Amino acid sequence: MSLGYRPGSGVLHRAHPFTVLSLAGAVAVLAFTLPAPIGPLLLTGGLIVIAMAAGVPRTLLTALAFAAPFWVFLILIHIVFGDSPDTAITVGSQITAMLVVFLMALAAVHPGRLVDAWLERAVPFHLAYLLVATLQSVPELQRRAAAILDAQRCRGLRVRGTVWGRVRSVVPLAVPLVLGALNEVDERALALEARGTSSGQRRTPLDPPPDRLAERVTRWLMLVAVLGTITWRIVG
Amino acid sequence: MIPLSSRLLALIPLAVGINLAMGKFAAALSLPLFLDTVGTVLVAALVGPWAAVVTGTVSQVAFTVLDGKLMWMAFLPVQLGVALYAGYAARHGAFASPWRAAAAGVVLGLVAATLSWPISLLVFGGVTAGGVTVVTTLLTAAGVPLKWAVYAASLSNDLLDKCVTFLLVHVVLISLPKRMAARFPAADRARGRS
Amino acid sequence: MTIALDKVRYRYPAADADALREITLAFGPGGVTLVTGRLGAGCSTLLLVAAGLAPHVTGGVRSGSVVTLGVDPASSEGRRQVAGRIGYLLPTPWTQLSGMSHTVREEVAFGPANLGWPRDRIARAVHGAMALVGIESLADRDPRTLSGGELQRAMLAGVTAMDPEVLLLDEPTLELDPEGARMVYRLLPVLARERTVVLATTDVDRAVDVAARVVLLDRGSVMADGTPDEVLATDGAVALGCSTTIAHIARVAGCVAPFPLTVRDAVRRFAR
Repeated sequence: MSLGYRPGSGVLHRAHPFTVLSLAGAVAVLAFTLPAPIGPLLLTGGLIVIAMAAGVPRTLLTALAFAAPFWVFLILIHIVFGDSPDTAITVGSQITAMLVVFLMALAAVHPGRLVDAWLERAVPFHLAYLLVATLQSVPELQRRAAAILDAQRCRGLRVRGTVWGRVRSVVPLAVPLVLGALNEVDERALALEARGTSSGQRRTPLDPPPDRLAERVTRWLMLVAVLGTITWRIVG
Repeated sequence: MIPLSSRLLALIPLAVGINLAMGKFAAALSLPLFLDTVGTVLVAALVGPWAAVVTGTVSQVAFTVLDGKLMWMAFLPVQLGVALYAGYAARHGAFASPWRAAAAGVVLGLVAATLSWPISLLVFGGVTAGGVTVVTTLLTAAGVPLKWAVYAASLSNDLLDKCVTFLLVHVVLISLPKRMAARFPAADRARGRS
Repeated sequence: MTIALDKVRYRYPAADADALREITLAFGPGGVTLVTGRLGAGCSTLLLVAAGLAPHVTGGVRSGSVVTLGVDPASSEGRRQVAGRIGYLLPTPWTQLSGMSHTVREEVAFGPANLGWPRDRIARAVHGAMALVGIESLADRDPRTLSGGELQRAMLAGVTAMDPEVLLLDEPTLELDPEGARMVYRLLPVLARERTVVLATTDVDRAVDVAARVVLLDRGSVMADGTPDEVLATDGAVALGCSTTIAHIARVAGCVAPFPLTVRDAVRRFAR
């Protein structure tokens, strides 16, 4: 499974993070404003081509794998038990397009470069920090959750049984996880203070990615395309 | 943009981590719950509604990014609703006893299901994948119109989920060692004593 | 004096007793000061109060006056003025990770970048700090793959990169192997020439080699303050269990104070 940043040298990797994210945002809107069901379908096709050209085939496969269960349900609800195949194709393509563009963005944008790009544009550091620290802490807490699960199972935690019994079993799992995390808050806060996060100074971006003219033009074009389709939908 | 204190900068990523890790427990116990707002509700009870709003927002963004599906961001209003409700419920001592917590949780379940209903329907066509969608599929197969199937499925999930979430936070609050509780002034009000 | 505490009392939130009782102490550059005592004597608390982290981050109540680098480091105005000028190293390296870096170099640069320095100054500071601590070979590693000892040294580099005038180290060698601990302690007197370096640790055996001054705390009060011989070679220090192993052995073996503190002292005294 290929999720998250993967080092590479394709066109998306070399692009400015904002360009990649703008692409994701544009696709997210275009998926809904382009005429269904052809629009989203073509959009998905185009994205698949981009993914191949940008050298991220594994990410593409992961995205398609994620999309598969949606297609199954859509086909069941709207084709087998319903009678609107167009809806199934539309929603399915929309979901697939967004999955592909989003995973591509994730794979191609290095979080550090993104934070630096934000900082160049004066996004407050605390906001950037929150997001990045969160993305780091989530896998850590999931690891701890797995460890607590193992430990409690060894001590005889009942994983099967009545619904009420299982609900009660959540308590000896959740409480250690939460208390353990709360215990760390003070120490982490001390460490943050000690490394100058409340200095009041604007943080220096360490390695801001270059923003070429061509990329800025591309982003404007995407914006125009998005606004254009929105207007066309409202008027038409 | 109000600069966040170092303690909040330290707490929020952990709370979001809790949000996204609790699902492991639910899965291991084969429970039809997400428990993905435990961290947000915890922050609401320990600090207050606005810190919980930040937690919920960051949580939704993190979940979206980690799951790779941009559409999840559409559910942001639900997270915000949960954060605000939990914050004000905590201010009014909702976590004072298991019964009050459970009751407040059930009400939140109703609120959350109602908030997520239009989003599920309009953005996802009723398909969000996972257990809830299985219920939706079964209901449509039984002939229930799609929009009611979606609501019924969300409701059945959210009522239990939020009830258990509130109960868990209640248990955590009463298990807090004195020194930790003293660092979180809002915790006392949440427990019904000031 | 860089750090001046005057009649300082401090109590942690919801605690039954003061952690620091009427402490009057001053610290300055010129040599490493070792602050030691039994567990719970208040050594870490003393450092936190001197840095202003207590009560600003830890909560609790402080009375008396604390003046560090000319300001009260716990006040909001003071915090901004001392940012980056008081280096603080915590015992556990993992909780000090910024969470934002993919290489050790980025991690060390975290502090200086927060201070808003220009990029070339940051690069020089990072290079200098990594060379000082001896971790240049780790520069491109992912911090999460480092051992406890390597990470703590990286954290030390991260703190020194900010070029602080004050360096407060709380049990810095807890996670380190003996070689790593020795490397850290060797650095301290060098750093202490121009800076105020205060080290809080119970690892007295190693710290005594580098300390120019020792402050012995017990239950939040200052028991003794002087040179290592004046403070640690006494009956009192050994009886408290706060002196070196050699001194303890010497006392048990029937010597009278002043006890030898190190192997070298003992050899000099007894090899006749």
